[in-house]
Amino acid sequence: MSYTGIKQFLSERLPLEALDTHLRKPLPKHINLLFSLGSLAMFLLILQAVTGAFLAFYYSPSPEHAHNAVTYISTEVPFGAFVRGLHHWGASAMVIIVVLHLLRVVLYSSYKAPRELTWIFGVLLLLVVLGFGFTGYLLPWDEKAYWATVVGVEISSTAPVLGDFVAKVMRGGSEIGAVTLARFYALHTIWLPWLAFGLVGVHLFFVRYYGSSGKPENTPEEMKTGKPFYPDQVFEDVVGMLILFVALAAVALFVPVPLEDVADPTNADYDPRPEWYFLFLFQLLKYFQGPFEILGTFVIPTVGMLLLLFLPFLDRSERAVLWKRPIALTVTSVCVIGIVVLTILGGTAKKLETTEAAVQETAQPSEQIQGAATPDTEAVEEGEEVFDFQLTEEEIENAVEVGEGQQ
Amino acid sequence: MEKRGRRSFLEIATAFIGGIISLAAGIPLIGFAISPAFKKGESKWVDLGLADRLRNSRFKKVDYTFTAKDGWVQARKKRSVYVTDVGNGEWSVFSRTCSHLGCLVRWDEKQESFLCPCHGAIFDKTGSVVAGPPPEPLQKLEVKVEAGILYVKES
Repeated sequence: MSYTGIKQFLSERLPLEALDTHLRKPLPKHINLLFSLGSLAMFLLILQAVTGAFLAFYYSPSPEHAHNAVTYISTEVPFGAFVRGLHHWGASAMVIIVVLHLLRVVLYSSYKAPRELTWIFGVLLLLVVLGFGFTGYLLPWDEKAYWATVVGVEISSTAPVLGDFVAKVMRGGSEIGAVTLARFYALHTIWLPWLAFGLVGVHLFFVRYYGSSGKPENTPEEMKTGKPFYPDQVFEDVVGMLILFVALAAVALFVPVPLEDVADPTNADYDPRPEWYFLFLFQLLKYFQGPFEILGTFVIPTVGMLLLLFLPFLDRSERAVLWKRPIALTVTSVCVIGIVVLTILGGTAKKLETTEAAVQETAQPSEQIQGAATPDTEAVEEGEEVFDFQLTEEEIENAVEVGEGQQ
Repeated sequence: MEKRGRRSFLEIATAFIGGIISLAAGIPLIGFAISPAFKKGESKWVDLGLADRLRNSRFKKVDYTFTAKDGWVQARKKRSVYVTDVGNGEWSVFSRTCSHLGCLVRWDEKQESFLCPCHGAIFDKTGSVVAGPPPEPLQKLEVKVEAGILYVKES
């Protein structure tokens, strides 16, 4: 069947012409590169989903296997280090791009009516992206994974009333272990991806339904006389994706993804640090101690997120670019500078140095957990005669010695 | 007209760049996924026991284990073969895996044949197909005797 034949076949069955007309609808004038950030975020989400789906071919979510599986991916599987690098650095790029996208929306006050719902679903997507980060970095089961998760889950336990219950649900018990790893893996690879694609679907529907917000200074006439979304804007988006992909691929090729020693719940020498995008929260906790700790662990993050979520209903001013809205400019600047400063302080904080070495005694368990064996023959049939004359290594050595003596 | 030409160019360029990104990401990803198919297994000699104890004109079912790398795990693998000596220091060691679809065959002394419980395959004592769907004989394993010990080559 020729290309024209396929096109005709599909046109007779799907509203392709209507879709084409919709895609070619003009955007507002003065759309700049910042308007490609949403497309870049979606590109990264797809890249993360695809690389994650491939990484799952070699991953096993159990404390006995996870670290070895990740080491195997990084050192033995062809392209493994590259694929893991794309996924790891892609996660950081995703957080950066999503936050920049959010700031672009704030800059042009695009969240104002009638686009409040677009904004709310966008903020929910930001939470999902952070959820991906939090559930993802436990999976390598190294020291950083383990201890950052211990601290992260403990933070949630400080929430009033249900905190302890929530922490137990997250861990799947009273401590981080096999059940925690299994449920973080399930959240990371099943629950959150479904949620993310659902939210992206709704977010995109609103984006297309209300149309691009354009810049605040656009006249009503300018709102519908810019370049068409397809192919002009899509071309710019795709060029952005290419640049982003080349940059990510370069980082994945030349910067190895860190993998620390396997998680050790008894390692008191380890200084837990979260991923860089949670460092500001980590640092914030240092300023609230004793009875005020809950401010840093629960009140400020929760109130901050609620304010962000309902921003369109709190900021009722006329639509204008950020620097013409002094209050919004001040609040945004304080938040951005605050988060950047806390992140830098958290990242550069000195690690704890102890001067006196404690006497260490390690009790040896009588039975270590052995690596899983994979017997691949069927169980012996009942009553069937089975010969098992296999020798021990010692018996083989003795037999070889006897053999050599006879020659 | 000029605008239309530009649009057509952008459409082609968009598809081209999209194709480049897909290829640049897709080739490593597919290589990553299918690489085990190109991995050559390590072969090693595994002892089955003292040859004198295995010497018998009837087929004996012998189970053995060995350690092999399975991905990131050093796994203890279990195998089962039928062993008989055919005289003059020659041995016949057959894999129990049916060459049809991998079920395990059983030796039937009365029929002097290997029978497959899945699709009725029958192999004679040389491993040749007598009846049923298998495309080829039972796999005959390479063996050697050293210092009185019978070894089978596991690959």
